[in-house]
Amino acid sequence: MNMIETHDLTKNYGDFQAVFKVNLHVPKGGVYGFVGPNGAGKSTTMKMLLGLTPPTEGTFSINGKTYPKARQEILRSTGSFIEAPAFYGNLTGEENLELIRRILKLPKSSVAEALELVGLAPFGKRLAKKYSLGMKQRLGLAGALLGRPPLLILDEPTNGLDPAGIHEVRELIRSLPKQLDCTVLVSSHLLSEIQLMADHIGILDRGKLLFEGTMEELKTYAASMGYPADNLEDTFLALVHQAEEGGRRK
Amino acid sequence: MALEFTKIKRTGLLPAFLCGGLLASMIPVLNMAVRSEAYVNLSQPPLDILLDGNWQTMAMLNLLLAVIGACLVYHTEFADNAMEKMRTLPIGEGRMFLGKTLVLACMCIVVLIIETAALATCGAIWFESGDIVWPDLMRNAGCMLLLLLPAVILSLLVASLCENMWISFGIGVLGVFIATMMPSENFALSLFPFALHFHVLGEKTAELGVGAAVEILALVAAGAVIQKIRRRF
Repeated sequence: MNMIETHDLTKNYGDFQAVFKVNLHVPKGGVYGFVGPNGAGKSTTMKMLLGLTPPTEGTFSINGKTYPKARQEILRSTGSFIEAPAFYGNLTGEENLELIRRILKLPKSSVAEALELVGLAPFGKRLAKKYSLGMKQRLGLAGALLGRPPLLILDEPTNGLDPAGIHEVRELIRSLPKQLDCTVLVSSHLLSEIQLMADHIGILDRGKLLFEGTMEELKTYAASMGYPADNLEDTFLALVHQAEEGGRRK
Repeated sequence: MALEFTKIKRTGLLPAFLCGGLLASMIPVLNMAVRSEAYVNLSQPPLDILLDGNWQTMAMLNLLLAVIGACLVYHTEFADNAMEKMRTLPIGEGRMFLGKTLVLACMCIVVLIIETAALATCGAIWFESGDIVWPDLMRNAGCMLLLLLPAVILSLLVASLCENMWISFGIGVLGVFIATMMPSENFALSLFPFALHFHVLGEKTAELGVGAAVEILALVAAGAVIQKIRRRF
């Protein structure tokens, strides 16, 4: 069964088509990598899944619940981290998580648990505005992980982290499905990063889903199409180039 | 509302309201200390004398405090993108708006209590004891709160729509100054949310009170609806 299913999901901003008829199938219990260059429509798609922006057309369901009918239920069972860290700068890291905990009606212990999970436990009492960028990213992740939601939607969670931080967060994301029994939808424009994290992959370019499947399927597909299949970056560039050519011909 | 009280920690909102309340309460005290002879021999009841002599300035300070408070509470939401996080949680923005309204209403109550205490002190020191009675003072404070709330809610509504705090602050200040220029005899103009609070207890109090109550309900409903539908645009 799929955790997320979208049906012809489309988002237009005036004449600009940010997302066009995207049909995602995110399987339960794994890491799904959402890859695409900047401006491909990854964040817009994720925002639609969280109800932050309404789709122009199309529908989607999360864990069998349909949006917008079950918006509150979907949000209750989804941890998210979208684009940039979002927090109250006047509150400590712990107080920020405490707010989320109270909204989600979770047990008190969940705050310490989330801080521990992202390695922020020693800095919980520090004001969030005094955190480094990496710590703010971790706080955002802790907020998403709070209460061990069955679905995590993480938009470029390693942005702004140093190489050690990227490695740590990558390992954390990789371990989450087993550790918390959840599904992770993670986006990145860094293809090498997704290659190291994801079981399934969706490639998006200029609002269109060019490929969806497992890493192995991608390699097979690339080989059958005569694209380079040795590394994801070359495959991706070939896919995008092919899509551009197709677009020009039309 | 408890959530909203947590959010205002370290924003300086409470000290701002306490200082603002103290500043406003200094006005009648200083006025009486400096020129009590201009007031003590008047024939009106002492509370009316004190309000006639000082309320316009006190009301302006209260309104500016309401504008500042509204800007501050929404600034904490927008400054570090916290609003975005809140929108991904199962909490209605309308409920958040209502919570913030109640927080600011509580702050206004604190301010009005300080000001009422100052008026009572002036009455006790400069007028004969028993001239100012507590029921009158409390009734006055209650009315002033009722007449202040439409401005508070309107300021909050503006602040919720402007991510830049200075824009909402500018609009609020403009509203306060426009209200000071409005003729108080015109009942329709008196109903402008920022103009209501300038009125002291008098013949029109009941009508203004009803008007304020209607405005409060309308603005709260408008606020809740706007917060709900803005996500769609």
